[in-house]
Amino acid sequence: MREPPILDAQSIRADFPILQRRVGDKPLIYFDNAATTHKPRQVLRTIETFYTTYNANVHRSPHTLGLEATELYEQAHENVARFIGAADAREIVFVRNSTEAINLVAYSLLSGENERLRLQEGDQVVVTVMEHHSDLVPWQRVCAQAGATLKVIDIRDDGTLDMEQLSAALTERTRLVCCAHGSNVLGTINPVQEIGRLAHQAGALFLVDGAQSVPHMPVDVKQIGCDFLAFSGHKMLAPMDIGVLYGKRELLQEMSPFLYGGEMVADVTLTGATWKEPPWKFEAGTANVCGGIALGGATDLRTGQHLEGAVDYLERISMAQVRAHERALTRHALQGLRDMERVRVYGPLDADRRGGILAFAVEGSDAHLVAHLLNDEGIAVRAGGLCAYPLADRLGVAGTVRASFYIYNTEDEVDRFLEVLEDIVRCRLL
Amino acid sequence: MYSHEVLEHFLHPRHVGTIEDPSGFGQAGGGERCPDDLAYIWIRVADGRIVEIRHKTLGCPVAIAASSVTCEMALGKTLAEALAITPEAVIAALGGVPERKANSTVAPKALRAAIMQALDRNGQAEQQDASTD
Ligand SMILES: Cc1ncc(COP(=O)(O)O)c(C=O)c1O
Repeated sequence: MREPPILDAQSIRADFPILQRRVGDKPLIYFDNAATTHKPRQVLRTIETFYTTYNANVHRSPHTLGLEATELYEQAHENVARFIGAADAREIVFVRNSTEAINLVAYSLLSGENERLRLQEGDQVVVTVMEHHSDLVPWQRVCAQAGATLKVIDIRDDGTLDMEQLSAALTERTRLVCCAHGSNVLGTINPVQEIGRLAHQAGALFLVDGAQSVPHMPVDVKQIGCDFLAFSGHKMLAPMDIGVLYGKRELLQEMSPFLYGGEMVADVTLTGATWKEPPWKFEAGTANVCGGIALGGATDLRTGQHLEGAVDYLERISMAQVRAHERALTRHALQGLRDMERVRVYGPLDADRRGGILAFAVEGSDAHLVAHLLNDEGIAVRAGGLCAYPLADRLGVAGTVRASFYIYNTEDEVDRFLEVLEDIVRCRLL
Repeated sequence: MYSHEVLEHFLHPRHVGTIEDPSGFGQAGGGERCPDDLAYIWIRVADGRIVEIRHKTLGCPVAIAASSVTCEMALGKTLAEALAITPEAVIAALGGVPERKANSTVAPKALRAAIMQALDRNGQAEQQDASTD
């Protein structure tokens, strides 16, 4: 028997015009949400309103449009701060995406003017084998340049992080621990609170890659106790090219900028410059102002109504409900996949310990081919190394097929996916 | 994702089969990331040109499509020209391959081995011809 639905997916679906699309003659079933999500009408309307009513550069143009755009942009920072439980908007840096957020921290630590916040020869940075390339490659580069060592923590057979190995790896030379909150392959939700406690005990900073958690579950930076949190707007209903770095205020205050130029400076002479206060000292050049407002939302100053951002849309549903909905879909899909011959699912088999991401392989077959056959039926999934090649190597698999869910997916879609996959596995592959 | 060309050659591979009594035969296996890919190639050479070519290939769609395209590219070429067919050229002809799939284009290696065998045999034949003189 079916559980009653947790979200009113049908009314949510009505907000997403793209879901009406067909692929060939098939209705679209979009299960590639870990790569990027679709945008609701409310957010699209905010984008339109920005460009039809408020478009101007921020923090520089002394005219009505410039002042209003600045006000909206700053409000968006405040709303994002509230969404993740940050103490204030000065802890919220708008960047392009998670990748840039992590590079910001990495390069700031590499070139830090402040000794306390500069990676030194012999220091250690700790990451995990389940990191996305975005939270691995910057550390490889920066460690190589600083003469620091990069320690990679393994997973256990069930796809969870080896906490004992992590605990044993931390030394007084560990400067930073970086970890995905949710794995984009295994789906594993890592115990970030505990990891943060261990990191801080060792005197290290703690960076959380929240690209796959912030869009999908309640995330509170104070509760986690992390020093940095990176996430991407496009994976949570906002447009592409807007992302967030949360950083503890004291740290952002002391850290060196990552990019230099206009907007981020307090004063400049021919021989040098001083920086603005955070977050602006980390937002060099013209920002994606519209993207920031579409992510955080702001008040429409001319009508007094709210210009809804992605964060508002999600808060209206409530992140607890988002999580519950995805967990139900995941549990249902997991059950179906586990019953299927030749299909192997990676990551924890308990839906309580994983997000709405299911990577699987079909024994003796090719991941890209399975994705193609699913696409023929209108089902959009990802295939391959999933931007985590070392993890694929660790799992001993050339590539996986990944289905990932969001608020507008339904149990009917999961059923259709399982039915098509079963047919592919049974009849259409050798 | 697979390009149109990869899918087309994978679903309808050209030049599949074997050649009885070939001028040369070669085989090659996958590299580090695709140990299961395996291509066998047979060629018949006349007047220094490949006049017939066949392959049998086991492996992923890229391996199979690469063999098909390699055979198409090699047919009618001189041995020297065919030796110059690189995996990169095959990948370009396939319209690109997905991440980490470049190693699955094993056919050019098998072709090279077949050509070397043909040259070798030809050399031996010439030597034999010379010694019987
Ligand atoms: C866990 C994780 N980290 C980082 C990223 C990088 O995100 P972006 O491409 O938006 O920078 C992704 C995106 O796939 C991800 O899944």
